[in-house]
Amino acid sequence: MLVAKPMSVDVSKIVRSHEGKRGKLISLLQDIQSRYNYLPREALEVVAEQTGIPLVDIYGVATFYRSFSLTPRGSHLVSVCLGTACHVRGGREVAEELERQLQIKPGQTTTDNEFTLETVNCLGACALGPIVVLDGRYFSKVSPARVKQIIKSARAGKEEHTADGHVFPVKVSCPRCNHSLMDFSHQIDGHSSVRMTMAFGGKHGWLRLSSLYGSFNLESEYDIPLDTVVNLFCPHCHAELISANVCPLCGAPMVPMLVIGGGMVQICARRGCKEHRLDLNGVNV
Amino acid sequence: MQSIRSLDDFQTLQKRLKVDTAKNLPVIVIPASTCAQASGANEIIRVAKREILQRNLSEKVGLRITGCHGFCQMEPNVLIEPRGTFYPKVGMKQMARIVEAVGKGEVLEEYLYRDAKTGRRIELARDIPFFARQVRFLLGQNEKVDPIRIYNYIANGGYAALARLLGEGRPADVIEEVKKSGLRGRGGAGFPTGLKWEALARQDGRRGKVLVCNADEGDPGAYMDRAVLEGNPHAIIEGMLLGAFATGAEEGVVYVRAEYPLAIKHLIIALDQARKLGLLGKNILGSSLSFDIDLVKGAGAFVCGEETALMRSIEGKMGEPRQRPPFPVERGIEGKPTAINNVETWANVPLIINLGAEEFARVGTKNSKGTKIFSLVGKISNTGLVEVPMGMTIKEIVHEIGGGPENSVPIKAVQTGGPSGGCIPATHFDLRIDYDSLAEAGSIMGSGGMIVMDEHTCMVDVAKYFMNFLQDESCGKCYVCRKGTQRMSEILDDITSGRGTMEQLQTLEELAQVVKDASMCGLGQTASNPVLSTLRYFREEYEAHIRDRRCPAGVCRDLITFTINENCNGCGACKLACPEKAISGKKKEPHFIDMKKCIKCGMCRSVCKFDAVDVR
Repeated sequence: MLVAKPMSVDVSKIVRSHEGKRGKLISLLQDIQSRYNYLPREALEVVAEQTGIPLVDIYGVATFYRSFSLTPRGSHLVSVCLGTACHVRGGREVAEELERQLQIKPGQTTTDNEFTLETVNCLGACALGPIVVLDGRYFSKVSPARVKQIIKSARAGKEEHTADGHVFPVKVSCPRCNHSLMDFSHQIDGHSSVRMTMAFGGKHGWLRLSSLYGSFNLESEYDIPLDTVVNLFCPHCHAELISANVCPLCGAPMVPMLVIGGGMVQICARRGCKEHRLDLNGVNV
Repeated sequence: MQSIRSLDDFQTLQKRLKVDTAKNLPVIVIPASTCAQASGANEIIRVAKREILQRNLSEKVGLRITGCHGFCQMEPNVLIEPRGTFYPKVGMKQMARIVEAVGKGEVLEEYLYRDAKTGRRIELARDIPFFARQVRFLLGQNEKVDPIRIYNYIANGGYAALARLLGEGRPADVIEEVKKSGLRGRGGAGFPTGLKWEALARQDGRRGKVLVCNADEGDPGAYMDRAVLEGNPHAIIEGMLLGAFATGAEEGVVYVRAEYPLAIKHLIIALDQARKLGLLGKNILGSSLSFDIDLVKGAGAFVCGEETALMRSIEGKMGEPRQRPPFPVERGIEGKPTAINNVETWANVPLIINLGAEEFARVGTKNSKGTKIFSLVGKISNTGLVEVPMGMTIKEIVHEIGGGPENSVPIKAVQTGGPSGGCIPATHFDLRIDYDSLAEAGSIMGSGGMIVMDEHTCMVDVAKYFMNFLQDESCGKCYVCRKGTQRMSEILDDITSGRGTMEQLQTLEELAQVVKDASMCGLGQTASNPVLSTLRYFREEYEAHIRDRRCPAGVCRDLITFTINENCNGCGACKLACPEKAISGKKKEPHFIDMKKCIKCGMCRSVCKFDAVDVR
């Protein structure tokens, strides 16, 4: 009998979540890739064993489609668009400069596992070409001369937040009892934090969020493992902060808070998911 | 969100939403499509929210976040309703001032659009030449609707066509209406939509029928579908619901390419909201109609835009095309009769039902009705999405809407139809665009990419680019396409590297014909178009590469040289940038490129601020 290893447990869970769904093979491979950043051989073997789809067919699908990778990818993904509009505006030169700077060819990963370079046939932002996308961030009208700086910005890594033009503090209150959630005695990012109580996996404790709209920094009594969905409560009326909406990115519940001044902010309850939404009153006309 | 169980309840909701929207507040409209976000829309949206909160304007000024309005060149842009004031390229500081001005009911003259030709400031979007000549049936809705709010779509008349048909319509009448409208498939081939639906309606429905929205917009250089998916997903859902009513299909699939994360997100939200409201699922609005839609993400294969390959991909398999017949309407996904339409086709359906077929058919030419969205990109001054009536000339699109060349270099051609299409030279710009005229000119309508090329674009390089693309994307199932595209690519490679012969040119033409005649699916059958059309109109460029070993446009690397001209003031930027250290020269003195070391990467030209690097 196969000894249950973490990967097989994880992959089984993904396989089960696709049970009975249309065209499940592609979508479950997509989920496996977003979990591991590539398709590990071991994971594909688990898929074959559990779905009854022959490994060779899985391999066929995994190699037919461009977005799957059978080798590990770096922590940063750089995609350079080679669509027609980008091509006539010099996308190829940008791609070559990326190859020179990273010293790899498209499809390869740097030896320090920092960067994977990919070429894409069209990203659909043709009016702004040549386009480079780094970890989901779009850079428009890129010239070869700008490439160095784009890579540097990725290497610099961790984001730091200070209130400036587009990152600004909001004051919030409980949507149920309307009591302020602001904690003036405890600062995060240099501003009063937002205090709530949380529960996950049998643990209960406090949680403080940055009140800067656009910052994802938080502090909590217990470390919340990545991907955990937490339940959040108002520290005053103890009502659970949960909205009727689910996160469109990961399916976890959204956590609503009233914005003092008129509006509602919602954040995803899953640790690591950055989905959030700020709706102002009277505005959705 | 409460589920609606009857038509009466729907009408009550509709009325309530219309009253809500009729507050007559000034509204700040900010597009936040992928292209706008790439230009900084997220930042200015946050600034707008901050200013509205801090100035206590949330009851006085509205804010609507929408999909792409089309003028991508000017993004991030802001539109102020109800006047229609247009602010292009808005930065964070300007946004703050705009919010303040809207609060006071003022217009900021200095931020308005400046017409490149007259130098005059133009306040209203509709007076700007880029917008003025368009007929914006579909793109116009993108301005009115926040894609993640279904109530917003309903308040703008959304799902009214569905409710009306569920109340008093008959399926056969809907098909008749679509036939009468003359709507043809916007994905490229232009098959009449009404006929496809009629064929599906006639099929035996015992095993179930499927409707598919083909949102695998793989054509490089085209992004109309992304704009509609991101900006108005409910129009597609409503279109498919109307199709389901007409044909008796109960299952729907939207197949979106994975390269469009924002479109996928908005679709997920839209489908979820439609389901919660009772507009998808069993017994919609209390009627006998039952229909639901699955979202399937592609995984990056161009051939999956071909309908038989698309179906296999939806089934979770390798996306290889198969022979037709049987056509998808006879045997489609999992053997069920299936009708596949493109995004833009589906979005046109509610419009036809609302306007009426006759009114819709008033726009367009004899055999091509309605409007078509083109992505006008490449070497042109106003890049973006333009929606024009069928039958507009290329000249009007390129020179009046597009504003002509990007810089002083004259425009040489436009390329339409992507890798399946062809290049149309500037001498043919009087051509009125519709399905038939483009085919006659050796190109195709395609999904709507229109890439403008100027004298600095090499047509042989363009042909090589497409052939490279196609040999990469050919699924390999049939020999002629697999090998044919490969051989054509090799010959084009020879020609662009100066190794070409006149005999090869003949082989190329023969090969192109064979691949066209003998390939199984649309990818192979049209793969030769980029070669054949450039040979037809730009043969002299091919011959210059072969006979004179010269690239007239200065693109093909093996045939060009980089030199520094007298504009050089010795700033040294190129010397620093050159990866091969091929540039020498003293400070403040003209520099020099060593041909032996030069790899022709173009870095020197890219960094030069004085236009001092020549390419010949």
